[in-house]
Amino acid sequence: MSITVVLFWFLTALALLSAIMVLLSKNPVHSVLWLIVVFFAISGHYILLNAQFLAIVNLIVYAGAIMVLFLFVIMLMNLNAETEPQKNTWLKLAGAISGGSLLLILVSVIRSATDMTGRTAQVGEGNIGLISNLGKALFSEYVVPFEISSVLFLSAMVGAVVIGKKD
Amino acid sequence: MNLIYLVPLFPLLGFLINGLFRKSLSKSLIGIIGSGAILASFIVSIILFNDVRTNGSMIVSYFNLLDIEAFKIPFAFQIDQLSVIFLLIITGIGFLIHVYSTAYMNDETNEHFGRYFSYLNLFVFSMLLLVMGANYVIMFIGWEGVGLCSYLLIGFWFKNNTYNYAAKKAFVMNRIGDLGFLLAVFWILAKLGTVNYGEVFASTVKFSASDITGITLLLFVGACGKSAQIPLYTWLPDAMAGPTPVSALIHAATMVTAGIYMIARSNVLYTMAPFTQTVVAIIGLATALFAATIALKQNDIKKVLAYSTVSQLGYMFLGLGAGAYTGAVFHVMTHAFFKALLFLGAGSVIHAMHHEQDIRNMGGLKKHLPITHISFLLACLAISGVPPFSGFFSKDEILAAAYLKNPIFYYLGAIGALMTAFYMFRLYALTFLGKFRGTEEQHHHLHESPSAMTIPLIVLAILSVVGGFIGIPEIFAPDAHMLEKFLHPIFAQSDSIKELHHLDRSTEWMMMGGVSVLIIVVIIIAWRKYSRTEQFVASHGIARTLENKWYVDELYDNVIVRPVTGLGSVLKNVVEKAGIDGAVNGVGRFVHYSSRQLRLLQSGQVGNYILFMVLSIVVLFLVFWNQPQIAHFLEKIF
Amino acid sequence: MNAIILSAILGVIMMFSGIWVNNKATLRWIALAGLLVLLISNIAEMYGYRIWNVNVHNMLYFDRFGLLFNSVAIGSTFIFVALSGSDINRVGKYAAEYYTLIFFVLTGITIISVYTSLLMLFLGIEIMSIPLYILTGSDKRNLKSNEASLKYFLMGAFSTGLMLMGITLIYGATGSFSIEVLNNPAIAQGVSFLEITGMLFLLVSMAFKVSAAPFHFWTPDVYDGAPGVFTSFMATVVKAAAFIAFVKLFDARMSYSSAVVDWKMLLCILIIATLLIGNITAVFQQSVKRMLAYSSIAQAGFMLFAVFSMNEMAKEGIIFYAVSYSLATIGVFAVLLKMKDFTFEGYNGLAKSQPVLAFANTVFLLSLAGIPLTAGFFAKYFMLASVIQTGHYLWMVIVAVLFAAVSVYYYFRVIQAMYFKTGEGETENIHPGFKTGLIILTVIIILLGVAPNLIINFLYF
Repeated sequence: MSITVVLFWFLTALALLSAIMVLLSKNPVHSVLWLIVVFFAISGHYILLNAQFLAIVNLIVYAGAIMVLFLFVIMLMNLNAETEPQKNTWLKLAGAISGGSLLLILVSVIRSATDMTGRTAQVGEGNIGLISNLGKALFSEYVVPFEISSVLFLSAMVGAVVIGKKD
Repeated sequence: MNLIYLVPLFPLLGFLINGLFRKSLSKSLIGIIGSGAILASFIVSIILFNDVRTNGSMIVSYFNLLDIEAFKIPFAFQIDQLSVIFLLIITGIGFLIHVYSTAYMNDETNEHFGRYFSYLNLFVFSMLLLVMGANYVIMFIGWEGVGLCSYLLIGFWFKNNTYNYAAKKAFVMNRIGDLGFLLAVFWILAKLGTVNYGEVFASTVKFSASDITGITLLLFVGACGKSAQIPLYTWLPDAMAGPTPVSALIHAATMVTAGIYMIARSNVLYTMAPFTQTVVAIIGLATALFAATIALKQNDIKKVLAYSTVSQLGYMFLGLGAGAYTGAVFHVMTHAFFKALLFLGAGSVIHAMHHEQDIRNMGGLKKHLPITHISFLLACLAISGVPPFSGFFSKDEILAAAYLKNPIFYYLGAIGALMTAFYMFRLYALTFLGKFRGTEEQHHHLHESPSAMTIPLIVLAILSVVGGFIGIPEIFAPDAHMLEKFLHPIFAQSDSIKELHHLDRSTEWMMMGGVSVLIIVVIIIAWRKYSRTEQFVASHGIARTLENKWYVDELYDNVIVRPVTGLGSVLKNVVEKAGIDGAVNGVGRFVHYSSRQLRLLQSGQVGNYILFMVLSIVVLFLVFWNQPQIAHFLEKIF
Repeated sequence: MNAIILSAILGVIMMFSGIWVNNKATLRWIALAGLLVLLISNIAEMYGYRIWNVNVHNMLYFDRFGLLFNSVAIGSTFIFVALSGSDINRVGKYAAEYYTLIFFVLTGITIISVYTSLLMLFLGIEIMSIPLYILTGSDKRNLKSNEASLKYFLMGAFSTGLMLMGITLIYGATGSFSIEVLNNPAIAQGVSFLEITGMLFLLVSMAFKVSAAPFHFWTPDVYDGAPGVFTSFMATVVKAAAFIAFVKLFDARMSYSSAVVDWKMLLCILIIATLLIGNITAVFQQSVKRMLAYSSIAQAGFMLFAVFSMNEMAKEGIIFYAVSYSLATIGVFAVLLKMKDFTFEGYNGLAKSQPVLAFANTVFLLSLAGIPLTAGFFAKYFMLASVIQTGHYLWMVIVAVLFAAVSVYYYFRVIQAMYFKTGEGETENIHPGFKTGLIILTVIIILLGVAPNLIINFLYF
């Protein structure tokens, strides 16, 4: 077992475990912290896939900026384990069962896709994830969606202002 | 001739103007517009008549009512010898009735006066459409229009419920007939793909014998409704619920003659269907006799006249059935003169008697209403068939044709003619002779009608006397039957189909003379008997049956109306309420119920929504990946 | 491309005019002028005039179908602003920003009607959705509006997640974002399970966007909670655009994958569930606004037939349906917004107090119910005819007609209230121009109901 395989399983287990902990934690602050762990684990996956840029951006943007924002909001609103609303046990159970069955179906479907070799996008190799290649792809082939996404961000900003500004 | 469209246009304009502005126009103006429109039509009709006499018939097409590939129904008018005669009758007599109405209806308020004249104009318009149309569809449009107008006019005084009932009865009876007519039109359309008269009569070879018999019988059903023949005649006596001039219009100039016109127009078809002709003749004769017996014992002045109309229409159908189309049209014409006169005279009497219609309360009116009296007497002589008044010639022609068909028809027809003479003079004597039997107050107010009413009476009286001379039979003077010569093109095709018989001269003289003498004898008996009658005893036995019109209304009520309404109420209460309503309301309630239940799904909780969505995804995925099995399963079930 | 760039620019222009223009009525005129420019530029592109020539790397394809729908969407938005502009101005302080967001929504719509790449689909859907979350919550003082906005956002995020999952699986299986069959190298080797699973996820997320049951749950709450004007916009132009994206996606993808798998059964379930829930639940509603929310679900059930039968007639039909449904619903909402009371009782006696409004509203409702002589009749006709053209599934048509009959019930309830019940029928002040607009809209709907080819012919010239 090579080191990459060991790392892969470790990161996978870490990501899944932390994700479950996000849901189970009573205290919202703990949830956010677990979520940061999830992001770190995912970034680890990106590095294994030879996508360093994505890994770093994921860390900076999600684990850094967005999660800090989350924490601020939670603290400003003074949310803690006591203010967490109590969910109906039946609802929780139903949710778990239906989510579990969805997982089961997806796994079984993807497992039955035995003819995948040689047909899937080649993700394990290549240098597309490197910063220079990514930049070239982004500004040549994918320049149109790249530019158009600015409209998306602009509208989100306008929206934020409209919602956030005091009347 | 491009004047043709003017004939129906004037009454239509009159209808629109009087109908729309009835509140703002004064009565005299309404009267002038209403009568003027008909007068204008009459003048144009005379021009057309001259035109037809010199140039023959013409067809003018304006536009297509229906235009679907090869199937076309044009809006076209056909002016030929037959329709122009009817045009003259309708507009001429219609005009006189309009003039008469201006005085007769003067008591009505402005608004009702306008309504009356607009209906009257619409009536004339529909009738013109009926006779002018160049195909069966336009005839049907006019046919329905006439039915509608009769409904409106019979129920003119709509505040009285019995009048509304009478109007409804007329409408329903007519509708039964209309159904027959409509079916016949469809039949023709299905066989030939056209309803234009010219094309239909030219391609009769395409009909099988049963087609012809079926079509003619169905058309005859339509004619029965409109022209009040057994078994659809009961509406006509009730139709006197309307104002008296309307009765004159319905009974004389329009409406009831529509059936005669239709059969005369389709004479080619009828001549080819001997069975139908026999049916027509028998029904006509039966109606003539039946109505005459009823008329013998009626005490309402208008009812007597109404049954006499039914009876005379029976004669016309007898003529049609016997193949004497000219005779039937001739009788339509003379009958229009004297029956209009009789009704208008009766209207004058009723006017003078302040809406008293029972002849038992009249008598001795001779002195007080001289003009009405004279004209009424002339009309009675004409309808009775006393030579040389107009009725004599036309009735004689029909009876002669009946003799050729079957001598029994002739003898029965002659008996009917004697009854006609009897009940007409009974009516005359009870009304105008003897002593006055009404109240003192009525006696005090007796007066001759205004000149707007008497002038039409005088004109019609002259026509009733001399109207017969356009159809002098050959035995009096050869080639003197102007009407027959004029109408010859219309009936030429029929004449060529059937073999022409001619009566012996001596037989014809015998028949004519014998009947005339008998009629005069009957008149004298009636005159003597009823001019002295002072008291009326309750009748019994057969007289009572006659007084009650053979109980036909009651019979219809028990045999048809009650079972139908009974069935209706069963359908309504059991099938409709429990069955259909139950099912429909049940569905509605089920939808409502499920709506209420489904609404609960919308709980407002995002968590629930997401849960449902995930569950749905799971189900969809399962269904998707197991499609063949599910399809197989579904196939097994269904 | 004209419309995509111009609408983004116009959005920015609106944003800045908010700084310099204080009068809200002027803002509305600017927005109308902008929409007109946008419409003209888009129609110009239909005739081959392009302002910008951009190498889009086969991610967009400006065909007649997409461009025609763009024109329809922009035109409908124009009518919407013309009729309900004053109501937009009443929602809150930031009228300029609302118009900005509407223009951005139009950018998203123009993208998703011409996309050929899943990447562009995702971007377009997001550009369209995010401004809508904001507009839903624009009535900030109203708790219902806030709640609706948050719900919409949460569930929208859920569906976006599903969509991304689907796109990822498809990319993983084929190595391409393209929906174009011919350009796809993986086709030759057949269709893989992975790809089909991806398509299933896309199907679910698109069903969410068009509010097809059982993914419709957000619709009643959001449509009811949002300010009425924006509900009108969401329920019409935006929903129709989502349908165009749906049709485009399945037109390209399903046609080749259907050799392996059969999508019809899934779509059957979706359609029947949508018709059932939309129509049946609408029956019980007390508020006309909420009834219209359910009716928009029911109408989505009909529009899904286009995805179901997927032939030429279906593609013609969906455009026509989009036009007729959008126009009629915009009209109904425009009248609704003038009412003081949004319940059925609020309409009592409207025919007496505002005969023009009542008449126009009747025509709109008849069109929605699919009564002949209105555009809605032909819209439904095209949909059902396209199903019949497939040769099977006659029973689906029968079911659809039955549900259309149910829909008559709740549409006629409004008509009944207006004409046969007595009441005040209270409305806001009605501007004469508003009545004129309504009458023009009525005429258009009746005209299309007599001559539907006026729209369809644009697909082929």
